Amino acid sequence: MHNAPKPNIEDLPTLAQLRRSSIIAGIGAVAIGVMVYLPAEYGADPTGVGSVLGLTQMGEIKQQLAAEAAADEPLHGGDDSSSLMNDILGLFVSTAHAQEAWRDEITFTLAPGQSTEIKAKMEEGVTLTYAWATTGGRVNFDLHAHAGSDAVTYEKGRGQISGEGSFETPFAGDHGWFWRNRDNVDVTVTLQLRGDYSEIVRSE
Amino acid sequence: MLPNRTCRSGPQAHAMRQPLTIFTATVLMLMAFATSAHAHDVTPGDAGYIQEIFGVHIISFIYLGAKHMMTGYDHILFLLGVVFFLYHMKDVALYVSLFAIGHSVTMLLGVWYGWGINAYIIDAIIGLSVVYKALDNLGAYQKWFGFQPDTKAATLIFGLFHGTGLASKILEYQIAEDGLLANLLAFNVGVEVGQLLALFVILIIMGYWRRSPNFMRQATVANIIMVLLGLLLTYQQVMGYIGLHAHV
Repeated sequence: MHNAPKPNIEDLPTLAQLRRSSIIAGIGAVAIGVMVYLPAEYGADPTGVGSVLGLTQMGEIKQQLAAEAAADEPLHGGDDSSSLMNDILGLFVSTAHAQEAWRDEITFTLAPGQSTEIKAKMEEGVTLTYAWATTGGRVNFDLHAHAGSDAVTYEKGRGQISGEGSFETPFAGDHGWFWRNRDNVDVTVTLQLRGDYSEIVRSE
Repeated sequence: MLPNRTCRSGPQAHAMRQPLTIFTATVLMLMAFATSAHAHDVTPGDAGYIQEIFGVHIISFIYLGAKHMMTGYDHILFLLGVVFFLYHMKDVALYVSLFAIGHSVTMLLGVWYGWGINAYIIDAIIGLSVVYKALDNLGAYQKWFGFQPDTKAATLIFGLFHGTGLASKILEYQIAEDGLLANLLAFNVGVEVGQLLALFVILIIMGYWRRSPNFMRQATVANIIMVLLGLLLTYQQVMGYIGLHAHV
């Protein structure tokens, strides 16, 4: 019937051994739950072990990301109208001419864990040229844009110290960077921009 | 915090005005395709965490490897099938080591060389590995073909497939180049830790169960259920693969 015979009872662990193993497993499960799982998933560290292991930081980052995802949730309805507003406003916005010199230079400092967003309000089919560099530490970034149902990611990076390039906008809207410091020291970023944008939009 | 950072695109906003069924279907679809829908979206959970960090994080990756193994029911089901009729610790250690060697080899090589095999295909094969092992336990191959295929070789070979599946998942995590090798090795250690923790629990339950006088009869039923669960996993992955290509 099977590819193995019925077990001999003397080959099996005794009830006393099984009971002892069950108790060990139960204690182990509670210990892992409190000292490892809670810190790593929720950033809660009642025993302090999670912080020693570096797992509390993981839980804090996960909670932060979950909160950001939740905060984004109710705002989608607004995106459509704002992109329409952008389109209408865009008709009245005169196009700035690209110059060889940088048009704006923005310097900002992020503490570990801190983030900011810097975007350029742009029309469709125009170009932004940029260069940036950090001092102090490394930075994560997400160069992207979205308006209504349109979305684009130009470039993502993490642990970087400089970047340069340009992009052409596939649609009108706010195009730019989400910056976050995941290093363990303060990071100062100097960002230089030129191109066809009407204004710089910053949000914390 | 940063309200404008992301946008869920049309489908979700649209669904608010649609009947509940379409809304539910859309949400499920968004959940299923959440990682691929918009690359710039906030990715929560383990993948989101991994995509934020760089450098060597040994203990974090051990944790993530162990979590991945313990919450990966396909790996656990296969492991259960492998140890179902192993009564001696010596045999358990041998077979579990074979499985560990198999999945470690393809996991490490797969991530290092970026073998991006479609996750649905490899998960369908992993589902079939559960079916294979449960049929093996039922003695089906002796009955149908008159011989017993080498169970050690099968454990090693299916281990290789499980490792390829693990590699595909890790590639989706997009671990930073900075610290990749150390983090990957830590993840592998975590997978083995998770496997041993799961095995510890499995062996306790099996230990009690095997003492029951009805064990052999119930074992037949259990392995038939395992065949069905393996088929279900395979079916889900095949449908996912078809669905994926229908949407692209």
